[in-house]
Amino acid sequence: MSVLRPAISILGARRSDADMPHRLGTWVACCLAITLLLTCGSLIIGTSSVETSLGWLFSPDAQSSVVLWQIRLPRTVGAWFAGALLGLSGAIAQGVFRNPLAEPYLLGTASGAALGVTLSLIAADASIGALAWTGKLGITGAACVGACAAIALTIGLSRGVLQTASLLLSGIVVAFLLGAVTSLLLLTKPDLWREMQVFLLGSTGFVSWSSATLLAAAFCVCAVPAVLLARGLDALTLGEDTAQSLGLSLPMLRLTLLGVVSLGTATAVGQVGIVGFVGLVAPHLVRETLSVNHRQLLIGAALCGGALLQAADLLCRWIVRPAELPVGAVTAFVGGSYLTFLLWRRSRDG
Amino acid sequence: MTGSRALIVLVLGLALSAAAEAAPSGLVLRDDLQREITLPRDPQRIITLVPSLTEIVCALGACGRLVATDEFSNWPAQVKALPKAGGFEDPQIEQIVSLKPDLVLLSRSQRITERLSEFGVVSFALNTESYADIGHSVRAVGLILGLSDRAAHLDAAIEQAVLKIGDEARAKHRGDGPTVYIEVDRGPYAAGPASFIGELLARLGARNIVTANLGPFPRLNPEYVVNHNPEVIFISPAEATSLAERPGWENIRAVKEHRLCSFAPEVRDTIVRPGPRVAEGMRAMADCLARVAP
Amino acid sequence: MGEAERIPQPPALSCRDLSVGYDSRIVLEGISLDIRAGFWTAVVGPNGSGKSTLLRTIAGLREPHSGVISLQGRYLSAWPRRERARRLAWLAQTPGDTDLTASEVVALGRFAHGGWLAHRQAVDDAAMYRAMVATGSLSWARRRLSTLSGGERQRVHLARVLAVEAPVLLLDEPTTHLDPPHQEDIARLLREQAYGGGVCVVSAIHDLSLALTADRLIVLGQQGLIGHGTVREALDGDWLSAAFQTRVNIVDHDGVHLWRPAVPPARRSEPINGSERGAPR
Repeated sequence: MSVLRPAISILGARRSDADMPHRLGTWVACCLAITLLLTCGSLIIGTSSVETSLGWLFSPDAQSSVVLWQIRLPRTVGAWFAGALLGLSGAIAQGVFRNPLAEPYLLGTASGAALGVTLSLIAADASIGALAWTGKLGITGAACVGACAAIALTIGLSRGVLQTASLLLSGIVVAFLLGAVTSLLLLTKPDLWREMQVFLLGSTGFVSWSSATLLAAAFCVCAVPAVLLARGLDALTLGEDTAQSLGLSLPMLRLTLLGVVSLGTATAVGQVGIVGFVGLVAPHLVRETLSVNHRQLLIGAALCGGALLQAADLLCRWIVRPAELPVGAVTAFVGGSYLTFLLWRRSRDG
Repeated sequence: MTGSRALIVLVLGLALSAAAEAAPSGLVLRDDLQREITLPRDPQRIITLVPSLTEIVCALGACGRLVATDEFSNWPAQVKALPKAGGFEDPQIEQIVSLKPDLVLLSRSQRITERLSEFGVVSFALNTESYADIGHSVRAVGLILGLSDRAAHLDAAIEQAVLKIGDEARAKHRGDGPTVYIEVDRGPYAAGPASFIGELLARLGARNIVTANLGPFPRLNPEYVVNHNPEVIFISPAEATSLAERPGWENIRAVKEHRLCSFAPEVRDTIVRPGPRVAEGMRAMADCLARVAP
Repeated sequence: MGEAERIPQPPALSCRDLSVGYDSRIVLEGISLDIRAGFWTAVVGPNGSGKSTLLRTIAGLREPHSGVISLQGRYLSAWPRRERARRLAWLAQTPGDTDLTASEVVALGRFAHGGWLAHRQAVDDAAMYRAMVATGSLSWARRRLSTLSGGERQRVHLARVLAVEAPVLLLDEPTTHLDPPHQEDIARLLREQAYGGGVCVVSAIHDLSLALTADRLIVLGQQGLIGHGTVREALDGDWLSAAFQTRVNIVDHDGVHLWRPAVPPARRSEPINGSERGAPR
């Protein structure tokens, strides 16, 4: 007993750490508050003016109910879950590859999804039979299938998930290859360019309740194993040999976590297109403000990513209303600015 | 003696200048890029790089003079057999130059005029974006080809046909026309009143839910369409089946009551190309509106 | 009645006919060793003789080219992963750059005891506390590793290894970055673990004098294993000179063996002034 008391006070108590959970609690509460604020904002902001929207909230009619509860709310909820998936995947990717520049698309997911959508659009043009098929699959299905195919190709090229260096390289190669094929295909059908742009720059415009539910389900499926295995990522920061010596099964860890990244990214890309920077910036934001401990980092990155994409969705609807900016352009701008700020601060300090 | 020599020089000079005037001089016209082009007198080998200009040349009866077109020109049927010189964004300079054309007709937005002039190929740029451009291009091409009379007739015929269809359509719905949303691409990208198809719609007396200040092809917030509840939607055949799946769109009158207008690709060409077949396109639009509008 | 017959314990670590190396290159072959618990064994040898490779292979982090390794009498590969991690702790020469706090790093040492789902128990806290006190790293428990100096970081990593409370400790250059007083502390610590805790401590050490404070030596040379045995046997057999292929002077000073570098002692007490150089006397 006597040795435990000083141990607890200095090392931090087991379940109620002196100030760690306090900080975590405050941080999570902040994030949730921001999310709530953004959700309310999303309900009010759209093509109608703020006064009109508030009027709708308090005296609803059939038409405005549709706009508020069938369009604006699922859109913001779906954006949150897509952002959470991307943030979580980004944090995992940065942990598995031990590289702060890793992001969820590094297994070639983005290029694979783009190719899938291109093929689906071309097929829809080509024949009625193909149209029936692509109608069933939809853009979302085609994107998902394309993303998964790209991941399989990457893992196949690098002969398994054991070597992170070769996995990274394969991802780059696959991204370039599939991107080239997509460009070639689009050259033959230039009228598809505008539609592809919509996908390539991300779009939350058509996120319905079924999309939002799908994203939420994917998030739950991804978050559970990720948080369970978070300690493994902590151990990985000590080096692969050390992690192995601590009793970790590196292949199992990598396979499961990369599976989570693949599922999360493929689902997000299928529903909202290619939205960049969220997966890269959210983990960095959390590292700066909260913790590097992966259990907290993964949860934090998910919450942060969700709020980020929600905010981007809000902005893209508000800035040029009633027209709309592509949400990926807004995240690129915001994310790029934040990274520039980080670089500036580092050069100032270092 | 000096006097008679001076007289001979004067007479010779006059004769020479007269001879110079009698010799064939090329036409000098200002094209839509504001360049002064000296055109060959009677161009026999013509290449067109935009489908609407191909159609104009053929509508004037000069189809035989075409030696190549762009990839997307497909009317009339005989131009499909001609060699192709690239697409809109990427015309193939080598192909064009090797065919030794007298004249290349292209759009103002195609950027190869400098390269072509390096090879000594004469090019003439015409705007091909709005309804007014049709008349202007018809008259310009007629002038260039020496078919001004035919061009004037064609211009008048087009104008007349378009006005007739417009008047008929407006007469059908006394008062306000149906509200229409035209979707150009899934995005949703809409066609505003400033676009070509928007102009045609306006002539038919229908009301576009997109306002002019949003530009010709704005990318809308899907909510906008739901809010404005159009009575008719112009949509591509591929998207027509999945409109009800878009969140909130099943409540739009046009979707609920299946008031959708989709056009087959050949018909669609006449609607989106500002060319001599505009009346056909307008007729298709008017027919569809008459069929599905409330 | 004498003492009860003690059942002979299998050696903590042993290998038979072991060949280790990278990919296609074999660095050491035909190694057969028994390493016993309760002793501190130091592995010495010139650069490139395979100290790290040997330790890594024995720790199970690399597949040997051929031969078998046993941990506490059972084949290394037969131990379940978690079980093995509880019995064999490893300290890398260059642990990865991490930004975790010292206490989080040391807590990772308890991973094999709890696993993925476990929360920290009282026994974990106690082990961590003892380890951090022993390495003198308790005062920076809440600090991030990136804010500590090289030596401080090394002590945190050492604490992590001690927190495992494994019967076998394999340490690759545990005294790098440490200044002499701390090197002393570590050496004392390793001795204490071996004698007091009955732990089998194996460490690769560069510094000859420090290595000679161990109980047993494994001496590797360019041509392979030179010998393994007590320090006395190593000195008597002049294994060090054979390993380094040059005369290695060891002197005995009050029972402590010291390496004496063969550098002539300084004669001057003042530096040469430039203008004097070459001036005739």
